[in-house]
Amino acid sequence: MSEFLHPLLARTRRQLFADCGLGLGKIALASLMSGGINALTSPTAQAFDGHGSDFHLPGGGKAKRVIYLFMAGAPSQLDLFDNKPELKKLEGKPLPPSALEGQRFAFIQPDAAVLGPRFEFAQHGQSGAEISSILPHLSKIADDISFVKTVHTDHFNHAPAQLFVNTGNGVPGRPSMGSWVTYGIGSEAEDLPGFVVLTSGANLSGGAAMWGSGMLPSSHQGVPFRNSGDPILHVSTPPGMDQRAQRESLDLIRSLNEQRLSRQGDPEIATRISAYEMAYRMQSRVPELMDTGGVTKETLDLYGAEPGNGKKAFANNCLMAKRLAERGVRFIQLYHANWDHHSNVEGGLRAQCGETDQAAAALIIDLKRSGMLEDTLVVWGGEFGRTPMVEASAVLNRSQGRDHHPHAYTVWMAGGGIKPGLTIGKTDELGMKPVEDPVHVHDLQATVLHCLGIDNSKLSFRSGGLNVRLTGVEEHHPVEKLLA
Amino acid sequence: MIKSLNADLPFDQFTIEQISGDLLEDPTQDQIVATGFHRNTMLNEEGGIDPLEFRFYAMVDRVATTGAVWLGMTTGCAQCHTHKYDPITHTDYYQLLALLNNCEELELDVESDEERARKEKLKDEIAEMIPQLKEKYPAPEGDGPEEERRRIAFESRFTEWKTKTADSLNHWIVIRPSAMSSNLPFLELQDDGSVFASGDFTKRDVYNLDFDLPKLDRPITGIRIEAIPDERLPMKGPGRTFYEGRGGQFFLSEVVTKANGQVVAYNQESAHGKALSDGDGSSGLQPAGHEIGERIQYTIPFAEPVKSEGKLSIEMLFERHFVAALGRFRISVTTDESVKTPVPLEQAVEEILHRDSSTWSDADQSVVLNTFLLSCEELAEARKPIDQKKGAINSRTRTLIFQPRPEGNPRVTHRHHRGEFLSPREVVEPAIPELFLSMTEKPPRDRLEFARWLVCDDNPLVARVVVNRAWMAFFGRGLVVTPEDFGTQSEPPSHPELLDWLACELMTPTTAGMKPWSMKGLHRLIVTSATYKQESKVDEAGLAVDPLNEWLGRGPSYRLPAEVVRDEMLAASGLLSKKMYGPSVYPPQPESVVSDAYGGFKWRTSTGEDRYRRSLYTFSKRTAPFAAYTVFDAPTGENCTVKRGRSNTPLQALTLLNDEMYLEMARHVAAISVDDVSDDVIATRLFRRFLVRPPRPDEVDALVNYYTAQKARFDSGELAAAKLMNLEKADARVASWMLVARVIMNLDEAIVKP
Repeated sequence: MSEFLHPLLARTRRQLFADCGLGLGKIALASLMSGGINALTSPTAQAFDGHGSDFHLPGGGKAKRVIYLFMAGAPSQLDLFDNKPELKKLEGKPLPPSALEGQRFAFIQPDAAVLGPRFEFAQHGQSGAEISSILPHLSKIADDISFVKTVHTDHFNHAPAQLFVNTGNGVPGRPSMGSWVTYGIGSEAEDLPGFVVLTSGANLSGGAAMWGSGMLPSSHQGVPFRNSGDPILHVSTPPGMDQRAQRESLDLIRSLNEQRLSRQGDPEIATRISAYEMAYRMQSRVPELMDTGGVTKETLDLYGAEPGNGKKAFANNCLMAKRLAERGVRFIQLYHANWDHHSNVEGGLRAQCGETDQAAAALIIDLKRSGMLEDTLVVWGGEFGRTPMVEASAVLNRSQGRDHHPHAYTVWMAGGGIKPGLTIGKTDELGMKPVEDPVHVHDLQATVLHCLGIDNSKLSFRSGGLNVRLTGVEEHHPVEKLLA
Repeated sequence: MIKSLNADLPFDQFTIEQISGDLLEDPTQDQIVATGFHRNTMLNEEGGIDPLEFRFYAMVDRVATTGAVWLGMTTGCAQCHTHKYDPITHTDYYQLLALLNNCEELELDVESDEERARKEKLKDEIAEMIPQLKEKYPAPEGDGPEEERRRIAFESRFTEWKTKTADSLNHWIVIRPSAMSSNLPFLELQDDGSVFASGDFTKRDVYNLDFDLPKLDRPITGIRIEAIPDERLPMKGPGRTFYEGRGGQFFLSEVVTKANGQVVAYNQESAHGKALSDGDGSSGLQPAGHEIGERIQYTIPFAEPVKSEGKLSIEMLFERHFVAALGRFRISVTTDESVKTPVPLEQAVEEILHRDSSTWSDADQSVVLNTFLLSCEELAEARKPIDQKKGAINSRTRTLIFQPRPEGNPRVTHRHHRGEFLSPREVVEPAIPELFLSMTEKPPRDRLEFARWLVCDDNPLVARVVVNRAWMAFFGRGLVVTPEDFGTQSEPPSHPELLDWLACELMTPTTAGMKPWSMKGLHRLIVTSATYKQESKVDEAGLAVDPLNEWLGRGPSYRLPAEVVRDEMLAASGLLSKKMYGPSVYPPQPESVVSDAYGGFKWRTSTGEDRYRRSLYTFSKRTAPFAAYTVFDAPTGENCTVKRGRSNTPLQALTLLNDEMYLEMARHVAAISVDDVSDDVIATRLFRRFLVRPPRPDEVDALVNYYTAQKARFDSGELAAAKLMNLEKADARVASWMLVARVIMNLDEAIVKP
């Protein structure tokens, strides 16, 4: 028997097997209860957080799934969203010491000179959102999304800060957002993982710990779709076999396992039988998912996607995110690296926006026209922002760049649970710190959970003497003004 | 580790070595290596980090690990505030942290006796080869015998080199600091007048040195900074860089020299003088790759000579986006008229060259000659065999260890408000939590005493925690179900008397033949018990009464741990290699598993028997471990995990069905099991290899029917035997039996403790 069987679920399962005389009739129910293929005997939290309180929000959530576009490396908010004319005026001069008190930086010294915005800004849509000219596609859907300009974090280096956004902690080993969500509310995908990870761009500083399951059952960890070979490990039948041979093998496995179940009586055997059936279904579902032959040219052009072309990886991943969402996957995490512009922030942004702007906007448009934006939450953002000061270094051969800035950066959100067309929060005229509505990363995570109908203060897991939560031990709240 | 477990090193001794082997009197290499246990903390080596912040997180991890492994105590919440349920205060936590905190975290070159002897032999060989280089000096074209032409050319070049090299030297007078301070590193004066820096470093370290100038006849025209290698430094130094940059590197950004309070200007035409006084922290001096582990000299000429009297002060700034301070260095002054850029030499050679050659002894002569032979360009090609041997000598096996900190520089531990690195409060003294104080007459004050206290007779807790973990390994469930938490929030033990009896047996055995703290003895005691030997079968009534087998009315049955799944399949398929020790190996797995891991890591799949070693030897990239283990609930290595989950998922099914690693086993076992016997016999053979028990007749029938059906399809060409077997040509019989083996390997019974 599984040690990790949740007490409530264990009881249910025991009753279930008692009711049906250890037969297989209702096995499928067990898997449904426990959250799709992520977990059969690693159940979801159900209505339990170690203290017996229910983490489900009354009335549930408006979003059923999340697509998180994580921009690893930290895009410069000062050149994309947070327009600061004052910086243009001060360009080349050091910041007043009062603006810098007590700050630590990763690379630069605080006396570095100011670097003005690299692009022109204009207002867009009815909401009048200010967006940089380097994001023409996003500008067109300004009214569908909402900006938070005052997100701040506890870490000023990539790996810890990326882990912080993804797992709520700067040191590896805590459950990721997607793991919490599938642990909490399971998945609707019966034959695909509930938490899928898609990557593009360079290596990720935070690494695989960003989609790890930490102390939660490991079956809740994100399943990365591999960029080469099988998208899901071992989903292909071995070479030399065909589907019939696989089916016949599974039939024999099933019948021998059933005999053992009837002799041995361990319900875990029934679960294994059901796991093999799901594995078989997955084997046919994944090729169907990956086959984009049926996608219209219009849709491909909308995203700028070319399945199979590695240079269009982000656009292809956005299209894939939509297809995964359609198939019930609960949490779809995209990572796109290369935003770490310590040098030539202008050129770097041109390149990255060129790769991502169209596809990110297309995802919103595509979700909206198929009626899915209502219940799909989309989040776009990095791990921190970039400094108003220039980074230049002889030994590192850097110039016209920006260093890491943890005190204020911009994230946009759209879809299920979010009011569109808003701009929340305001930073000071140098873009250093929030002056209105600061939003801590834990608040942002609380907002994501809230949209899914989860109370961030109650979804927890007991480990090492702590009730571990995504949003930490201190009090954090969803951003009320954003909520639809 | 493997050696000590196999030798059944008593657990009390094992504990002391793991936590504090470096503090034992005259420790062996193995005892020092054992301290690597607590170096397994996560380390962020990203550029720009605050290194001390991540050291703090590492300490938090060490406390948590120590609590979980030895004390069955959860410490997580006391990092931030006094424990809400268990009697551990916020101060207790940081006192416990202080016990573990006073250590230097270094790397050790590990050498076996054979390795040491091999390197000595290489050194001797090199010593013999050097004089022979002279014979390889290229002879110029011309008349006369070749040997003569070679000799003349060599002598002329050697003489020229001696002159040029000697001319590049100044007369340097080492000055010893009278006072030293820094922002944080601990500076110690060495016998040779050099300064050694140890302790903690930051991204911006500043050394301040004061000197009383010696009375000299002439004014000082410049200073020299010697960067000196040292065994105690990363890669022998001379720098302190241990992450992000090259190990042993440093970056000297600025050097401000003051004579009696007045800034001394440097000659701006000298490269060093300019870089060190331009006010730009990002320009400065750093060693080239080949200079790591070598002595380097930087000479800085003054713009104007300075009278040698009174005080000289030197401030050195080291600034990079990682730790880049010098680990060992020495300051000298010269009164020579012109300050030169010296040819890189060992100090001993320099001293000889300073003297008139008429005073050189034979030994001096040969030192100078060898130096030339080993540096002159004309012999670069001829030196290659020597360089190769040098490379072999320099290749090291390094491991992470603890070392005691020097007297005079104990690390101070603070209580951290809300557990935050940036909020240190009052200083705390090293101590065990107060609740344990009543248990001991002599409370531990340092790491070694702490380790000894853990396993002393006064402390029954550790033995309970240890036997509970062993019980869990055999029964799939501990007597205390939370092996990491024996506190008030855990369920009480199901069999308290049994737990105590086992703990007492471990510490002071009464069982015949069992030695104190013997883990093998403990394991024997458990597996020979009547409770363990029961059958695991359960009926509906049994399941209803005790679904989790808490009351041990039947034998244990559970799905095997990840690594054991692979090991037993390897053993059953006949592929298991029993080779022991050595570096980790890389069994087959798709490259994509590690491609997203931090650091652009490549999986170099092993060949030969290394593919089939026990899973213990599989290389583990901590945040992206071997996929076939992760899928069966092996944890990633970020946190100490004393209890794993046990899930049952479709991804496990896909792994056992389709993973090339398991297909290889099925192919092999089929190939060795098929010969001229009946199908029933082969089916039985395969069945028993994986499931041990004899198959029932209906099971044999089912396997043979399946075999027959698949064979027909291979024979008809519907299935491709060669492809399946990954061979040029394959026998349809073997291929069909391979599919049978694959079915058996996928049965519940194959991966479950029966």
